[in-house]
Amino acid sequence: MEATIQYFEVTIDSQGIGTLTFNTPEKRANVFTHAALKEFEAHLDTLKQDSAIKALFIESAKEAIFIAGADIHEIQAANDEKNITVLVQEGQEIFTKLENLPFPTIAIIDGACLGGGLEMSLSCTYRIATSHPHTRIGLPEVNLGILPGFGGTQRLYPLVGYAKAMELIVGSKLLKGEKALKLGVVDACVPRGYLGFKKQEFSQKILAGTLNKKLLANRKGITWYEKFAPVRSLIGQLARKQVLKKTHGHYPAPLAVIKVMQESFGKSLLDGLKIERDAVTKLALTPISKNLINLFFISEKLKNETFSTARGKEIRQSAIVGTGAMGSGIAWALGNQGINVRLKDINTASVGRAISTIRKIYEGIKKRGRLTEREIALKMDKITFTTEYVGFDTTDFLLEAVSEDINLKQKVFQEFEVVLKPEAIIASNTSSISISELAAKLQYPNRFIGMHFFNPVNRMPLVEIISGEKTDDETIATVVKLTKKMGKTPIKVKESAGFLVNRILLPYLKEAATIFEEGEDIKRIDRVLLDFGMPMGPLALIDKVGVDIGEKVSHILHQAYGERMAPGTLLTKMVEHGWLGQKSGMGFYNHKSNGTEINKKLLKLKTDHVKLDKKTIKNRVLLIMINEAARCLEEDVVDNPGYLDMAMIMGTGFPPFRGGLMRYADEIGINHIITSLKQLQKQHGYRFAPCDLLLGMIENNESFYGGTS
Amino acid sequence: MERIAIISGLRTVMAKAGGSFKTLQADTLGSKLVREVMLRSPIDFAEIDEVIIGNVAQPIHAANIARVIALRAGFPEATPAVTVHRNCASGMEAITTAAARIHSGEGKVYLCGGVESMSNIPLVYSQKMTNLFTKLSRSKTAFDRVHALLGFRPTFLKPIVGLMSGLTDPVSGLLMGSTAEVLARDFGISRETQDAFALESHQKALKASESQRFSQESMAIVYDDFKGAILDHDDGIRKAQSLQKLARLRPFFDKRNGTVTAGNSSQITDAAAAVVVMSESEAKKRNLSPLGYLRAYSYAGLDPKRMGLGPVFSTHELFEQTGLGMKDMELVEINEAFAAQVLACLKAFDSKSFARSHFESAEAVGAIDPEILNVNGGAIALGHPVGMTGTRLVLSILHELKNRGLQRGLATLCIGGGQGASLLLEVE
Repeated sequence: MEATIQYFEVTIDSQGIGTLTFNTPEKRANVFTHAALKEFEAHLDTLKQDSAIKALFIESAKEAIFIAGADIHEIQAANDEKNITVLVQEGQEIFTKLENLPFPTIAIIDGACLGGGLEMSLSCTYRIATSHPHTRIGLPEVNLGILPGFGGTQRLYPLVGYAKAMELIVGSKLLKGEKALKLGVVDACVPRGYLGFKKQEFSQKILAGTLNKKLLANRKGITWYEKFAPVRSLIGQLARKQVLKKTHGHYPAPLAVIKVMQESFGKSLLDGLKIERDAVTKLALTPISKNLINLFFISEKLKNETFSTARGKEIRQSAIVGTGAMGSGIAWALGNQGINVRLKDINTASVGRAISTIRKIYEGIKKRGRLTEREIALKMDKITFTTEYVGFDTTDFLLEAVSEDINLKQKVFQEFEVVLKPEAIIASNTSSISISELAAKLQYPNRFIGMHFFNPVNRMPLVEIISGEKTDDETIATVVKLTKKMGKTPIKVKESAGFLVNRILLPYLKEAATIFEEGEDIKRIDRVLLDFGMPMGPLALIDKVGVDIGEKVSHILHQAYGERMAPGTLLTKMVEHGWLGQKSGMGFYNHKSNGTEINKKLLKLKTDHVKLDKKTIKNRVLLIMINEAARCLEEDVVDNPGYLDMAMIMGTGFPPFRGGLMRYADEIGINHIITSLKQLQKQHGYRFAPCDLLLGMIENNESFYGGTS
Repeated sequence: MERIAIISGLRTVMAKAGGSFKTLQADTLGSKLVREVMLRSPIDFAEIDEVIIGNVAQPIHAANIARVIALRAGFPEATPAVTVHRNCASGMEAITTAAARIHSGEGKVYLCGGVESMSNIPLVYSQKMTNLFTKLSRSKTAFDRVHALLGFRPTFLKPIVGLMSGLTDPVSGLLMGSTAEVLARDFGISRETQDAFALESHQKALKASESQRFSQESMAIVYDDFKGAILDHDDGIRKAQSLQKLARLRPFFDKRNGTVTAGNSSQITDAAAAVVVMSESEAKKRNLSPLGYLRAYSYAGLDPKRMGLGPVFSTHELFEQTGLGMKDMELVEINEAFAAQVLACLKAFDSKSFARSHFESAEAVGAIDPEILNVNGGAIALGHPVGMTGTRLVLSILHELKNRGLQRGLATLCIGGGQGASLLLEVE
């Protein structure tokens, strides 16, 4: 029985000041599960009857978390409209009960106060936040493809104003205590250590009846101009335009927020809540929301993933050899987390360029107001450099990012093994060379590992972790821990050419190039994939990565995987013409103008004039990718479809609303995929032959994510 | 007394003030250097008992600059740090303070050094302007404020140049260069001999620089993070220096009769230097091979107007203390504050009458063979970042003794305010 769990504890002191403490047993976080909500309601009912109570504080017994929101599992599990409506309505009614209590209520927000947690707080009379960095306040429901359903769209704008509330909810913005106070979300913000004094002050004033106007003056409320319907309509339009610019219409939730706020304005709370409820019910049932929630769970799982049984060590002193774009970016990511970094290159000029790159990344952060000059100076202090093999005795971790040449890399490792302590980890940022081969000449290959970062490092969250044959568990654990500390997401992949992301991405890029070669328009191909939700068309992406790089990798993959990865001749010819993409000014597009015009000279490399319908273009590039991804799962390159999907989303920008590549495969159906692949195989050859895993799935009637699709 | 082992050390390259390092505050320069010294030393940050840094023009934003440097260089918060000040000998004072602490048993391992950013010595408002500001800040009413402002005169805005004030002896009222003029007159040192000495300093330094001799002891510094600009050599050394060029310069301190010019004086420079020290027995216990040892040291005081003779006084004391003489010194470094001052010292070292009148001794302190003096040039070519020079001399002479397979040397400098410092250094 649910009743055996007790979520809340109530105390009432002699003066009639009550405290309701949320403390979910055996959990790190407080979440409003249905059961918790019901118990909360029961407490409210009891307290309401108690005439001795003068005020009620609502607080959390959890460290760093006030209330993390409603239970997302319940939202995801709910599969029919009625179910969700009932669930939402219950929540709305309980919070309205809270709002209508005969005595003042005060939410004590010290820690994360998200979604349903904030909606509960908004139903309190007052809110006190702490200025501690762990206090983050916001309504991030839109990130999960839904909207705040427990009154968030109704109770925020009377505090912060109409436009501001819309901005906060649509953008899923999280606020620190001070900022929340400034906007009027909370009525007071104090350092954590002063919380006790502040509570005392509040209760005394409430008892004395002197807590009132001055406090409420902090709440901005609706501005005078927001009272005019045309102004609100304009605010809505502008917000809508902004959302569409960012999401290209792929995400319905932010638009629904705008609509709900517009429709419910001026209506009674009850009517407003109904509009909100209807909208959230509709959203929660969309596959997009299910996809986003699924990704949220995978990312939560990845946060706790260690990929090994060892504990892993703390890295204090790191070193980077090879200070090009990747080396500098990685150095920044290390230094930014307070890890000392020693740069090693053959001359001071390259080191100088790296330092310049790092400083400029910080400058960008400073411009966004996230770091001060003093803080940057302290972070830059962590970076030292040398052109010789000196000062590496204390290095715990060396990352190699020299050019992709096995002999050069091996030479660097051997030279470093002389100066490094035997337990120092050596990681290679190779994107194409086998880790075991690289480790072949090392004295201690057990401490050697691959760490494949993506460019630009300061913005790309994915790191592929590749262990070689002899890499030990301790090394994996340490590197996984380090990657997380750098604010990145590590995903362990098995050693194989192209690792995971590039191996799946390349056939996609190559197929797009082939479709062009056969006669299709460059812009049309890219348009189809942009419409699908990709952040960039495949041909534009080749230009960005570099045609030469794409060509080189395609040869490596061809060598490793044979005929299905046959590189074709287009990219090679482009390299011969010097059309290397963005860096040379010419590629598929002409980057010498503003990059929106195609490279007209390229058209003569077309071999045919075949025009395809949009669906065929989409099928060819996406199915070949799904087929290769299935092979990766078949070969255990990655642990599960969820991790694969996260890797593709983080590494290539595969659209999150699709839920990931394998999730998308489930959605269109394995049956359909195989039929299409077989047909494409007939027309275009072996590269479309469905892999064994897909064929086997059909026989057993399976999907990648089990029954959920 | 047990010798103090100098385990390892480095200095930054030296940059002319107002040049490459002008935007690096002393604490930034110092922390870059100290971090590198620690990374290259066999000693862990946590093993250092205290950080001791000499610095003359202590930046107003970094009071007790040693602590700021220690924290920024990566020392644990638990490591204490102290700034020491003995004017031009501050970089030596850091080392000898550590020596005294080690001898007294207070601690075992120290990071000591000196740092100076002469580019960043501020201009200061005059006393009258300061008084006006004080008055303004205390004014309560608009009337008071207007009244205070009415007292303003444009002359109040003439700043006090911190660098000039710092280089002026407050007791005698003489600029340091003027004390060199006093010595030039006392000892009859001509403009030509001074210029010749200055030229030689550049020539020796140039040779050392070109043969990579200085890379043994110095590190390159990134001085502009945005541009990634790195200085990897001492930029005060003039390749094309000549007697003709030197002769063209006007005397700076005594425009009418003087002989001391910018060319035959030390340069105004930004740099830092630091070493890791411990007792000889501690180094043996840890099986380390130190760069060298501090065997003994001495400080002495004299007439502030003739502060340039400081080395003679402190070296005399050092020899008294150790029973050694100039003949036992295989290399000598006298800091080149001014050519006139070094030349005056050379004469005084070799003078019986000087010894008689100042030390009641029948014998001269000891003549110095020019062949072993400042063999890689000195502050005239490299510059004299006042707080740092003392540490540089120690580092430089130890490397040179090692390179030449010699055993013992003297590093000495004159100190503004009328003092001298002498350190007896050994290798092996």
